[in-house]
Amino acid sequence: MTTLLEVKGLKTYFFTEEGVVQAVNGISYKLDKGELLAIVGESGCGKSVGVMSLIRLIPQPPGKIVAGEVLFEGRDLLQMSDDEIRQVRGNRIAMIFQDPMTSLNPVLTIGFQIMEALQLHLGMDKEQARKRAIELLEMVGIPGAEKRLDDYPHQFSGGMRQRVMIAMGLSCNPQLLIADEPTTALDVTIQAQIVDLVKGLREKIGMAIIWITHDLGVVAGIADRVIVMYAGKIVEEAEVHDLYANPHHPYTLGLLKSIPRLDQGHDEKLIPIEGLPPDLVDLPPGCPFAPRCSYRVDRCTEEDPPTDYVTPLHRVACWRWEDVIADQSKNGGQRV
Amino acid sequence: MLQFVIRRIIWTIPVLLLVTFFTFALVRAIPGGPFDFAGDKSLPPAVVKNLEAKYHLNDPMWMQFCSYLIGDAICRPEGSEEGVSSKGVLLGDLGPSFRYRGRTVNDIISTALPISMQLGFLAMLLGIGIGIPAGIIAALKHNTPLDYSATFIAILGVSISNVVLGPFLIWVFALKLGWFPVATWKAEPLFSNIAQQYIAAGEPVPMWVNLIPKPTFDFFHHAVLPVVTLGTGLSAVLARLTRGSLLQVIREDYIRTARAKGLRERAVIVRHALKNSLIPVVTILGPMFAGVLTGTFVVEQIFAIPGLGRHFVTSVGNRDYPVVLGTTLLYAVAIVIANMLVDITYAWLDPRVRLE
Repeated sequence: MTTLLEVKGLKTYFFTEEGVVQAVNGISYKLDKGELLAIVGESGCGKSVGVMSLIRLIPQPPGKIVAGEVLFEGRDLLQMSDDEIRQVRGNRIAMIFQDPMTSLNPVLTIGFQIMEALQLHLGMDKEQARKRAIELLEMVGIPGAEKRLDDYPHQFSGGMRQRVMIAMGLSCNPQLLIADEPTTALDVTIQAQIVDLVKGLREKIGMAIIWITHDLGVVAGIADRVIVMYAGKIVEEAEVHDLYANPHHPYTLGLLKSIPRLDQGHDEKLIPIEGLPPDLVDLPPGCPFAPRCSYRVDRCTEEDPPTDYVTPLHRVACWRWEDVIADQSKNGGQRV
Repeated sequence: MLQFVIRRIIWTIPVLLLVTFFTFALVRAIPGGPFDFAGDKSLPPAVVKNLEAKYHLNDPMWMQFCSYLIGDAICRPEGSEEGVSSKGVLLGDLGPSFRYRGRTVNDIISTALPISMQLGFLAMLLGIGIGIPAGIIAALKHNTPLDYSATFIAILGVSISNVVLGPFLIWVFALKLGWFPVATWKAEPLFSNIAQQYIAAGEPVPMWVNLIPKPTFDFFHHAVLPVVTLGTGLSAVLARLTRGSLLQVIREDYIRTARAKGLRERAVIVRHALKNSLIPVVTILGPMFAGVLTGTFVVEQIFAIPGLGRHFVTSVGNRDYPVVLGTTLLYAVAIVIANMLVDITYAWLDPRVRLE
């Protein structure tokens, strides 16, 4: 597998009146061609900001990418000129967003909105773009594509709009599709349809995907690899089955315990993670998860834990991950 | 769309009837009457009585209202034809003025309204031409010195009343610098030959002939100061509104989507943001147009412009019932038309309000 994207030490801060919000605080990861990487974490842990920084969609000011490299197909996206990054956006890297109800422009037809990128990046004329737009809508499963091209977003349901967004994202055959919580705003049944759709399209087109979500249930079905973020940092990364079977970080463990499982006995309770994520303006020293962590020792509140590679494909940032594993095997471990 | 317009026009009928009724009732409810005084002298009771009889003010109220609406010929009993008669509002006859002897309200409006409309139209052009671009620039350069100065000037423009700005402009540009005339309005009708024909035939010149001015130097020379006075405030209001609206639209998710597509910033703004941001601006443009075109009292007074604005105010003091009714109705019609145009513009701007 060849590396498509490599993020090194990315830091994105927001300079607000209340202080500097350290939304993304030094994250590094790699993504291979055609791979599906999921990034999970609670709201406000820097997932969205982290991926929007990749194609520099952070509003500046107040946001600023203060450090890091984003190597995509060998070039650093952060060093590109505005014109160059625009050539990448929507073309090599496409993005779909959380809320399909607000992510489409209400006063333009969806045909116009899809054709726009085709004309811009692929130099198609109106007729070619229209033909391709119809193909795209058919591909994402919108019936009567030819007629619907001239409809406005409000004439579509939420699920259909997200399909339109996906069609728009895939229009220029991107190498990387960033999906920022694409199913969060949808009904559960529609969520499943969208997940299946993306799965199918990925097999067909073969693009790599970064899928952001806070729903570990969605992740299990589609991801190759999972990154768990907390307070702007990566706390654990592993292949998907490894992560579910063998969580090393107390936060990951907490997340897994807080979702319902069909194979769980009726008497087993869901255990929420107590407390709230820290204020990113003045992060306390040490591990950001320490205040909520049941494994906390003094060291946790004093020194930031380093990232340990348990195996080449499984890394964790915790002082006590060995104890976490020990407890797991004592209790019989997590079932997959 | 045609159906929509027709439906709207039908709906305006009860609205205008109600406006007529309430104005009719309210203006007569004010203590005092139209013939209480002439100049600074009061009239002898006998004279007042005769005048009231001439204008049928002693008839029962319902008969007066009926006459106003559909004409004396229908509503008044046979054999009482002495005095002034009117064909009624429904036939476009707004009746005689009580104060300007020998002039009808139609006369007053047809001479004064074109002047007010010329002034108002130019002021709106200035207001839109400066206000909307200034608002857009301020929003795009949000939180920069350019934005701050535009916002500051706009606040000044909103807060400085025309009562202050008008005399100030006259003092600087007319009296001190002598660039522009102090006051008055100089408009020749563009179709002066048509106007001449009417005058030669001894008929009143219809309003539309007076409406379009000949674009002479004299016309614009006189127009500059009053138009700037009136237009500054309008542009300030529009600039603030446009800026606020565009700033809000720029934060919308679909703008982020447009950027994620790789569009140039210019395309993001022009194609994706502007149309959305103009929706609230259009809302205010309608009533603004209606208000400004039917005349503005203060500016017309300061610059001694014989427009319709002063009739709105003086007619109430004079208890000149037909003029009050006529101007109020005219304003109501203007508002109704303006709002209809706004609704049609909405449908063009925003597909969500497009009517099937």
